[in-house]
Amino acid sequence: MKFGIFYEISVPRPWENDIEHTVYHRCLEQVRLADELGFHSVWAVEHHFLEEYSHCSAPELFLTACAMQTKQIRVGHGIVVCVPQFNHPIRAAERAAVLDILSDGRLEFGTGRSATWTELGGMGANPDETKETWDEYTRTIPQMWTNERYGYEGRAFQMPTRAVLPKPYQKPHPPMWVAVSSPGTEIDAAERGMGSLGLTFGGFAEQEEKVDRYRRIIRDCEPAGAFVNERVATVNFLYCHPDNETGIKTGSRLTGSFGYLAAQLLPVREVHPTRSYPNPGLLAASRQQAAQNPGEGASAPEGVCIGNPDRLIEEIKKWESCGVDQINFLLNALETIPQEEVLESLRLFGEEVMPHFQDDQPATTSQPRELAATAAAGD
Amino acid sequence: MPINGNADPSQLTRYAPTMSSLDTEALTLPDVKVLQVIYEIDDSVMAELIPPALHPTIPPTMHVIGMRADDGPLGAFTLAIVRVGCRAAVRPRGLPTRAVCTAGEAAEALRDRWGFPITVGEPVMRQRYDRQSIQVDDGNVAVLSAQLIDPVPIGNGDLLYTAGMHVAHVERDGETKPWLVQVDPEFEVSRADRGQAQIDAFDNGFWDAPELRPVYPIVASFTTANVTLPAIRYICDPEQPAISGTVAL
Repeated sequence: MKFGIFYEISVPRPWENDIEHTVYHRCLEQVRLADELGFHSVWAVEHHFLEEYSHCSAPELFLTACAMQTKQIRVGHGIVVCVPQFNHPIRAAERAAVLDILSDGRLEFGTGRSATWTELGGMGANPDETKETWDEYTRTIPQMWTNERYGYEGRAFQMPTRAVLPKPYQKPHPPMWVAVSSPGTEIDAAERGMGSLGLTFGGFAEQEEKVDRYRRIIRDCEPAGAFVNERVATVNFLYCHPDNETGIKTGSRLTGSFGYLAAQLLPVREVHPTRSYPNPGLLAASRQQAAQNPGEGASAPEGVCIGNPDRLIEEIKKWESCGVDQINFLLNALETIPQEEVLESLRLFGEEVMPHFQDDQPATTSQPRELAATAAAGD
Repeated sequence: MPINGNADPSQLTRYAPTMSSLDTEALTLPDVKVLQVIYEIDDSVMAELIPPALHPTIPPTMHVIGMRADDGPLGAFTLAIVRVGCRAAVRPRGLPTRAVCTAGEAAEALRDRWGFPITVGEPVMRQRYDRQSIQVDDGNVAVLSAQLIDPVPIGNGDLLYTAGMHVAHVERDGETKPWLVQVDPEFEVSRADRGQAQIDAFDNGFWDAPELRPVYPIVASFTTANVTLPAIRYICDPEQPAISGTVAL
């Protein structure tokens, strides 16, 4: 089992007195500590327009700062929105390669397509088309990384042959992941030989089912990249405190605040009916979480990592038995928890919980394979 | 925390009915034609359109809804509703500002039993091969004209309808005052289309939302559905955040 930290970068109103500057620098302080404690990775999302919920619109810059201030922790660019109105695929490939070079080969590359009208509408993207564009990105970006020159003619974009530069530091390229917030997306990840980067807060039974399906399908996958990245990560909250009741109570404020904010956004499905978004994904799960647990609960929902070290060890062992390889933790939302307490929680987790979980996997469990030739226009 | 509404609830009651009882039985209306046109609205006034119990969505939205029943327990009627999209704590909701209904019996039932802010008028729904529309005239002037253009079929399960929070005068504990009455109809959809949203006329004064201004189309849908108007299960104090001000009946 590996552990990561995961950032939405939630900024409370009022947005004055340098609050965004403060929150960003608090996050960096947390990342430096996580690096010292031996956390495997720091992930940062890409979101736009999501007031208070996420002010993380340029994750590659945040992650570059993380890489410059740390030694070991891997940097998870996750997820890059693979929709042309957000990111041109060439720019996504270039930025990721530079981040991989600057971090000395510590990049994990996550892909996704956004699930809110707030973002897709704001960027002028058509929700019906995001699955197709995401699919093209996942197959062409590794080609740009691994071929000296590359050209392509597809639906999402076209390019005459050019050298996309620089190339990533990791060879053949960084591990690739798929954001999994809707049921069934783990199948998309498995079919492409990509890691499953879970973004929902489901229970053990749901997760076990997903992992089983993922492991079964990935055996016969057609890798989108040059190798298979067979890993399952899930997201969780973290608040660790010596006193279980205090841990649960404070942690519940965190989970409640996060869910409450998520619920204010407009999921695509609510206003723009389309088969491309068969369910509200992360937002529905967050809403459910917030409704059950509005912030002052005395008991923690199944699997949520809030409480004392003993409770967290117990919950993480259950995740491990479900087949999860990595848990990425959200540490704060709306600055609900004071920074010193966040750092204390991280330290306690690092000292009393992490030693119970052997990190017996290499940094990537990938098996090199022939570069998939499915993006046929590559040359 | 998210922005709360700041409209004075007493200012939202111009068309609010008085509900003599909240003990309403569910009622199913068969084969109702439902047109929904969703727009983003001018965000500078979003908080002024809803009471403190509710949050505006991000971005703020409005729903124009047309319903036409050709038969059923309330007889034939056509209904036009204008709502502001919002959240009651974490739940998606719509706050009707005014509704106009054709026939007397249906208008009376919808007002008295479910708190719709209805006046009687002549909304007209039209169905063409390339568009569906709802229009409401006040005298000779169109105060609402909204359309779905270029319909394409979608799955019956692809649509979500959000519940309404209807401002109505309700007596509780010996005091009559405005409450938000939660009305969450069930839609059993048998056919669904989606298309471009277009609002050609909207008189915000008529719809009792003087600042409401549609600015950016999202999408329109048109369905045929059995619509079940439910028993009332929750009401909410409009002055308090819904998370603390909601009362289960």
